[in-house]
Amino acid sequence: MTQIDIIGLTKRYGTTLALDGVTLQAREGELVSLLGPSGCGKTTTLRCIAGFMDPDGGDILADGASVTDLPPQRRDFGVVFQNYALFPHLTVFENVAYGLGVRRVPKAEQRTRVAEALAMVRLQGLEDRLPRALSGGQQQRVALARALVIRPRLLLLDEPLANLDARLREEVRWLIRDVQQRARITAFYVTHDQAEAMALSDRIAVMKAGRVAQFATPREIYQRPAEAYVARFTGEANIIPVRPRDRTAGGGFHVPFGGVVLPVSGVEGIRPGDAAMLMLRPEALSITDPGAPDAIPALVLGAAFLGAALACEVSLADGMRLRLQASPHGTVQPGMTVGLAVDTAHAWLMPDIPQ
Amino acid sequence: MKRLLPRLLLGLPAVALLTLFFVLPYVEMVAMSFRAPAFGQPFGSGHTLMHYGRALGDPLYTGALVRSLLTGALITALCLLVSFPLALHLSRLQGRWHVVFYACIVSPLLIGVLVRNFGWMVLVAVDGPFNRWAMAAGLIERPVRVLFTQGIVVMALVHVFTPFMVLPIATALRNVRPELREASASLGAGAFETFRRVTLPLSFPGVQAGVTLVFVLSVAAYVTPALLGGQGIAYMPAVVVRELIGSFAWPFGAALAVIMAASTLAVVTVFTLATHRLAERTRA
Ligand SMILES: Nc1ncnc2c1ncn2[C@@H]1O[C@H](COP(=O)(O)OP(=O)(O)OP(=O)(O)O)[C@@H](O)[C@H]1O
Ligand SMILES: [Mg+2]
Repeated sequence: MTQIDIIGLTKRYGTTLALDGVTLQAREGELVSLLGPSGCGKTTTLRCIAGFMDPDGGDILADGASVTDLPPQRRDFGVVFQNYALFPHLTVFENVAYGLGVRRVPKAEQRTRVAEALAMVRLQGLEDRLPRALSGGQQQRVALARALVIRPRLLLLDEPLANLDARLREEVRWLIRDVQQRARITAFYVTHDQAEAMALSDRIAVMKAGRVAQFATPREIYQRPAEAYVARFTGEANIIPVRPRDRTAGGGFHVPFGGVVLPVSGVEGIRPGDAAMLMLRPEALSITDPGAPDAIPALVLGAAFLGAALACEVSLADGMRLRLQASPHGTVQPGMTVGLAVDTAHAWLMPDIPQ
Repeated sequence: MKRLLPRLLLGLPAVALLTLFFVLPYVEMVAMSFRAPAFGQPFGSGHTLMHYGRALGDPLYTGALVRSLLTGALITALCLLVSFPLALHLSRLQGRWHVVFYACIVSPLLIGVLVRNFGWMVLVAVDGPFNRWAMAAGLIERPVRVLFTQGIVVMALVHVFTPFMVLPIATALRNVRPELREASASLGAGAFETFRRVTLPLSFPGVQAGVTLVFVLSVAAYVTPALLGGQGIAYMPAVVVRELIGSFAWPFGAALAVIMAASTLAVVTVFTLATHRLAERTRA
């Protein structure tokens, strides 16, 4: 049960600035995801926390005490690697017992603790196998058990599911969450899969080119993204350049869009008249009768039946294209003229920040 | 089953080559060792077991055999000791420095055997650089005789066989993924503990190859012991050559050669069996 504070971490590889002031926090028992596209610095951040790499600047605190100068073996942080990194010459039992052997834990206690850890990841009966005789999912469980058995202060996971197939990924994802919650262990979890991050995390740090673009709960990140980059990375979103006209009485903005004026809330600090970005998630848009009041006329360009919904692409009078999800029971067809209704509760205004 | 014929055909050149250059000479050698001796010609007609009896009954020959095997073991052990740090270093180098260091490692093999041994002779001669430096440094009072001792033979063979130990070990070490060391560290192991528990065992495939190669080469070494060891110390290969060429006793020489090959093979087999579990666990 440890709180981790990461303050202004910087790291340079030659001329590339991989980390440019990463500030993060994980409270006791919290699972924090680092989410972002390839090359944004997730692995670098995690390796600095683990101690495999020295940051050029910044500090890492565990319960308020700096660990930046400690070598990895003195940090007590469990690490789960993307390719598992199991010791190929040791059996499942010996792999899991490794950290206990290093700590000179008595053999009898090792056996009970290894059994506990393997039970926790639901892997039993394979203790005497070598890693090469295990499936990817089984190897991942061993890696998790090996990291947990030392009762680390912090668990670090770098894309632990990347090498698993889709079904297994789902299963192991829940296993990780379950284990993390039951052991009440603080964790950082690196992924570039937004659905994974949403499902698992207490908080998500969306990273952008070596910085944290937004650090908040999944709900906040999804519904109230700080910038268009975050909105795009956390799910499907229509991002429309707009100019808010003035403030609403409720602290939101009046935004002219498609011939109507929408009252939407948004990021603090946007000034009326400035260029801004309006986010409309597909679920914020619905199709109505073209004659309905405040309906925005639109032309249906395409529709794809997805089972639970009908994914549509429409274009507005000014040529702006929008994606939305319509009822699968409707009769929307390409070429039809329809009306668009905007649920402003799912709309959000963001500052115009370069990508 | 339809695929069997093409596969057999594919294997044919290798089988033919092995038969011609490996199996046939051995068969011929073994057959020769059972032939009767004769005067005035290499061998007579008829077959006999007497050569084996003579070879195994005479301490002159068994002594040379044991000396060769023990010296081979000593050379192998020293070679391993010298080579492991070199291999560790070589495996961690990248780019240009890797090439440079690699060239240094294999350099003993780039010099012909006669030139190399002549070099040793010059180096350790009574008035050679070794004695002069050692005296200048105050290590010895008067020149010592190094040439024609067992020590210089061992030293020279360790020197020349080091590449055969370093290269396979370095390859094995290169195959140890760096994340394994990181995983070990994150589990609480310091550098030495990580070396002992991860790096060292995983280098075993290389150690096994190196040890086998160097042992076999050491036991069979002929030129270096002959040049640097002088006449006083008899090693098995020299004895075999003396019988085959000097005394023209082909059957007896063949019997000695077969005994030497079989003993070497036996030692290698025992080593392989004794390390079987480790080898099985660490095979790539
Ligand atoms: N050893 C290195 N030498 C030079 N540049 C590096 C090195 N490792 C990473 N980088 C660079 O640093 C930046 C951040 O890399 P990092 O591995 O942290 O990204 P990531 O977010 O983990 O990406 P991915 O999702 O692809 O794993 C990238 O631009 C990368 O090219
Ligand atoms: Mg990465």
